[in-house]
Amino acid sequence: MFEKTLQLALNGLMAGAVLAVPAIGLTMIYAVLRFVNFSVAAHMAVGAFAGYLLNTSLGLPAWIAILGAFVGAGAVGIGSDHLALRPLRSQSALTLAIASIAVNIMIESTIRFFFGGSPRDYAIPLRRDWHFGFLHVGPQQVENFLIASVAMALLFLFLALTMTGKAMRAVADNPMLADSKGIDPDRMARLAIGLGMGLAGIGGMLVGLDTSIDPLVGFRAILSVFAAAVVGGLGSIPGAVVGGIAIGLSEELSLLLLPATYKSAVGFLAIVIILTLRPQGLLGARMA
Amino acid sequence: MSQRSLITRRTALLTGAGAIAAPLVISTAGFGQTGPIKLAGLVSLTGSGSPFGPNNRIAHQAVVDQVNAAGGLLGRKIEYLAEDDQTNAEAGVRAARKLIDVDKVQAILSVWASAVGSAVLPLCWENKVMLLGISAADTLAELPHQGYFVRTQPHTVLQAKEFARFILANNAKSVYLIMPQTPFTESVFKTIREGVEPKGVKVASAIIDNKKTSFRSEIDEMVRANPDIFMMGGYVAENIVMAKDLFRANFKGKVMGFAYGVVPAFIDGAGKEAAEGIYSIADPSPAFDSSAYTKLKALVKKDQLDTFMCQAYDHANLAILSMAKGKDATGTSIRDNIRKIANNDAGVKVDNALDGLKLIAEGKEIKYSGASGPCKFADNGNIIEVAFRTAQVKDGKIVQIKA
Amino acid sequence: MINYLIAMATFGAIYAILALGLNVMWGMAGMVNLGIVGFYAFGAYVSALLTVNAHAPIALGFAAAMAGTAVMAALVTLGIARLRDDYLAIVTLGFAEVVRIVAENEIWLTRGTDGVSGIPQPLKSTLGSDFNLAYLLFCLIILAIVLFMLERVRKSPFGRVLRGIREDAHVVAFAGKDVLRFKVKAFALGGALAGLAGALYAHYSSYIVPEIYVPLLTIYIFLALTAGGIGNNWGAVLGAFVVVFFLESTRFLVGVIPWLSAEQLAALREFLIGLSLLLVLYFRPRGLIPEPLPRLLIR
Repeated sequence: MFEKTLQLALNGLMAGAVLAVPAIGLTMIYAVLRFVNFSVAAHMAVGAFAGYLLNTSLGLPAWIAILGAFVGAGAVGIGSDHLALRPLRSQSALTLAIASIAVNIMIESTIRFFFGGSPRDYAIPLRRDWHFGFLHVGPQQVENFLIASVAMALLFLFLALTMTGKAMRAVADNPMLADSKGIDPDRMARLAIGLGMGLAGIGGMLVGLDTSIDPLVGFRAILSVFAAAVVGGLGSIPGAVVGGIAIGLSEELSLLLLPATYKSAVGFLAIVIILTLRPQGLLGARMA
Repeated sequence: MSQRSLITRRTALLTGAGAIAAPLVISTAGFGQTGPIKLAGLVSLTGSGSPFGPNNRIAHQAVVDQVNAAGGLLGRKIEYLAEDDQTNAEAGVRAARKLIDVDKVQAILSVWASAVGSAVLPLCWENKVMLLGISAADTLAELPHQGYFVRTQPHTVLQAKEFARFILANNAKSVYLIMPQTPFTESVFKTIREGVEPKGVKVASAIIDNKKTSFRSEIDEMVRANPDIFMMGGYVAENIVMAKDLFRANFKGKVMGFAYGVVPAFIDGAGKEAAEGIYSIADPSPAFDSSAYTKLKALVKKDQLDTFMCQAYDHANLAILSMAKGKDATGTSIRDNIRKIANNDAGVKVDNALDGLKLIAEGKEIKYSGASGPCKFADNGNIIEVAFRTAQVKDGKIVQIKA
Repeated sequence: MINYLIAMATFGAIYAILALGLNVMWGMAGMVNLGIVGFYAFGAYVSALLTVNAHAPIALGFAAAMAGTAVMAALVTLGIARLRDDYLAIVTLGFAEVVRIVAENEIWLTRGTDGVSGIPQPLKSTLGSDFNLAYLLFCLIILAIVLFMLERVRKSPFGRVLRGIREDAHVVAFAGKDVLRFKVKAFALGGALAGLAGALYAHYSSYIVPEIYVPLLTIYIFLALTAGGIGNNWGAVLGAFVVVFFLESTRFLVGVIPWLSAEQLAALREFLIGLSLLLVLYFRPRGLIPEPLPRLLIR
């Protein structure tokens, strides 16, 4: 039992790190643009497929193709926001959320139109798990963990050290003050979307590397991604990291009690619990 | 009226009738029925059944083309329609509704997945449309289908018994069964248990959600139980995922699966390494040495045929020959006459539609013997008599073995 | 062909009732419910399982579906009533997914992914081939009754309070009304309608399976409501028929555009749904038939 629990915790840590990446994307967009962008799911798929094309058609190894996932998803994000969501900027957060659902459907169905619904695999070798005593972990899981960690570290450095990063944090913190200081809100919005969706794209590809991809790769994860962001506190990037790990661990450890098929219900339960007990999330500071 | 003109008219009529009847191979008895006879294939072009659907459609079309070229059925052309059920019950029901309500087909051929079969069968019997299927779930035969259902695939209890036989033959002490949820999952588990538990074999089982893209946790659980044999009882899509997870977990026991899940498409998806050594069980052997099999190979220009394509060929032939026998192009006619042409051992042996039609027109009794097997049906629609074979994946190829 | 049109109209009526249910929850009480499909599924399963397993009469199935879904909706409201809009959206979406997961996995109860088939269709044996038309009339009559009732509710004091809550819950609370109580009642009413729609579908198609109850269906109803006019009952009905007509008519494109596969056509259809929703949000955020202002303001 102890061995099983430890193994599940290890799986959860690996999964949580991967989950944190798109959760950061969601929360970052929320922080700057003030609405929940449901199309994160579709952008995860965009990233997964962009990486897939680079990997299978051009033969690029996964860790290079993932840059393509980032750029591809980020670009589509900026484009879809510009075309579809920007005109609605003045509307309520709910209208924007619904509009983002519409965008999600449009992007996902476009992917399905061109690629079909059947699962596809990256051109990576199938490798056996590494064993350490009674624990085992897949090489791909470890790689995913590393890639996710590097991506998050780079983001933190960007936000903490660069002028642009600091400007974005300013906008998230106090948009009116930032505007009066001459920070261009539109530019910051584009940056937030580009980065946020780019991270979602990385997340999608990471999930796909360990399993397979299809247009619904993002949709299947979305409840867990929401849970991670909400549990950590919508708008808080460190919160999304903590939330991601928390949800990853919860989902895996839940296997001690529930059958595997109920995993996504765990995310939902977490959301309900957090919103009831501490609506601002674990690390969120602002109003709920 | 003068004598001469009467004789002339009668002669003219007789000559005319003779002129019409002579080139025809089929008797023309369709009173007041005009327009093409509609047959439909509800095949899986996408989804888990997609390795087989396209070939099934090809087989249907080939038979229909063959019959139309020789003059049609009951003096009418046969129109063949195909719809994709997407290996999905809901999509299958919608497609069947369209075929039945809008296109008014008389028979639906070769439904493959049991979930689709279960959902579509009530529609068929209510509308007196004949369903000739592959779906193997035992429950299907027990529904009150009033005879509007036959299937050429041995039902799953028979298949499960094959698994039990394989387990005992390999002296396994413990087995772990995993299947996705289907109408036959519980009955397969039960039948295997009944077959091996009395002999002291430990059986554990689990049902998986076949839409998941990773079964790492389920496979982990299985490996912890350390069984001698693992049953990878899914369709192609989930088998691919399971096989990879098995490889990663370095599982050392034997792996066995349903024949329809261990096919070339599976090997392609899982990769040679992950697929190596996996056993394919309960494959209803096509009647390789039958003349029907040979004729089908020539008709569709392929060297190797899977059992489903053979069954699809047989479905088309059976539907057409039953309609001819009943001199009526309806689903009810197929229901009433199919056993007359399939179970009748005393009849002249026939292995394709054209020969059968000719003999029926001459008033002879026939026995259709198909490419998938002898094609004899019990009253509830189950196939009687079937031969199974066992195979194993060796170096990327499926090789028949004696096990 | 006529059978096909009858089927389309029947779906239109069922979706219209579902849209009316959403209208009560969102249009009248201001609580967005992205999980309406979960209520729809719940009602369908309650009626289906009662009539198939317990051989209950169909009327009882319908009654239980409405009552059961109403109770469930009331309970859900207690949990979510104080959430603001975007959280509400996430939670209700999650709720519907959980309903679907439970339906898929509790095989002993719901028969899981095999679905429940052979659901009794009212008077099927007596009516024979006239069943489809009779059922359509049945649905239309129910729709008319529901519509009439809801119009009464909208104009009643209860309806006015709900609208007040939608605009600004604080003011209403300040005026001494128990906001939570009203929200629970509104959700229960909307839930009962969604459950009714679910039962209507189940006894029409005689087969239900968890796969049907996907978020996309919620989006269809959302589209119907936003196109028809949020808050407006007639608009909801009109929107539902327009959406069904649109969805079904694209099926015939298969013949017209032969180089697209069925899967691609389904993808195209979904794309157009998304696009339509977006366009409705741009051009008519109040929908095709905007909400009628109370007479006092139109002088």
